[in-house]
Amino acid sequence: MTGGRVPIVDLADKSILVTGASSGIGRQCAIVFSKVGARVAIVGRNQSRIEETLAMMDKGTHQAFALDVTDYGSLEGMVSKAVENGGKLGGLVHAAGIEVTLPLGAMKPKTFENIFAVNVIAGFELARLASKKKYLPDDGAGFVFISSVMGTVGQPGKIGYSSSKGALLAGVRSLALELAPKKVRANCISPGLVETPMTDQMFANLPETSRQEIVAMHPLGLGHTTDVASMSAFLISAAGKWITGSNIVIDGGYSAR
Amino acid sequence: MRSEEFIDLLKEIMEIEDRDIRLETNLKEMSEYDSLVVLEIVALADENFGKHLAAKQITAVTTVKSLMEAIGMEHFE
Repeated sequence: MTGGRVPIVDLADKSILVTGASSGIGRQCAIVFSKVGARVAIVGRNQSRIEETLAMMDKGTHQAFALDVTDYGSLEGMVSKAVENGGKLGGLVHAAGIEVTLPLGAMKPKTFENIFAVNVIAGFELARLASKKKYLPDDGAGFVFISSVMGTVGQPGKIGYSSSKGALLAGVRSLALELAPKKVRANCISPGLVETPMTDQMFANLPETSRQEIVAMHPLGLGHTTDVASMSAFLISAAGKWITGSNIVIDGGYSAR
Repeated sequence: MRSEEFIDLLKEIMEIEDRDIRLETNLKEMSEYDSLVVLEIVALADENFGKHLAAKQITAVTTVKSLMEAIGMEHFE
């Protein structure tokens, strides 16, 4: 065996920022990262829910920030504080996102703007901040943006959501090229349908038959947040150091058809 | 909102121009009343009346009147 030790997923001594940490995939990322040694700064809108996340994490030097990621003006202050207390950011996961199922006829410019603000702009704004020299470790960082299979394939009623998730896939390729000299790797994960509060809410608005149809589209059934969180950890860790500009599909076979 | 206005909104969503819809019209018998129209109606109820229609409520809807009842008659005059 050449090339030194084979890296395993280990985030010891890494400081990682996670958005959307109040629930679902973001929360699970925070929990998994804490279990493999990271110091995690979690971001979510709701103070009590991010505190719940903190309580579910392995103990460590973690921080919780209650803020709305579309309040762009407040992001640098938060990043700066996260770095001051937890160290320069070796990882960023943008899991904050909103899901909207609305046919084109009911979509308004404002609906698109709201979706893009959270799903896309906030993520890339955080990437801009986290890639500043003063916040970036010398050995670089791994940025992960949670996209969706809907960013690649379509479904009626998903014009807003799928276009925002597709924007992440496209943006991350340019980001990867631009940030490679700084040893920053930028990737997307495209999950299929994962059981989270967000998808529960989506299902609540759909008839039971639609739910069954959607579940049936996933040969391995619906996903779990840990499926996505583990891949996020892999991408940020040294194990993923040669992966950038990629889209990792984790969808239980949804897009294998 | 007057029921006539509400019916006009429904007609606009379903893109019906050539015929009338009445309170007793059965939406489920109309070819225009598909799953995407249903989603639009859910959005309309939310936006105009602050009423969140659950999947169960919307599947139970038959006539225009039953839709209005699901939204809440207090919103109509």
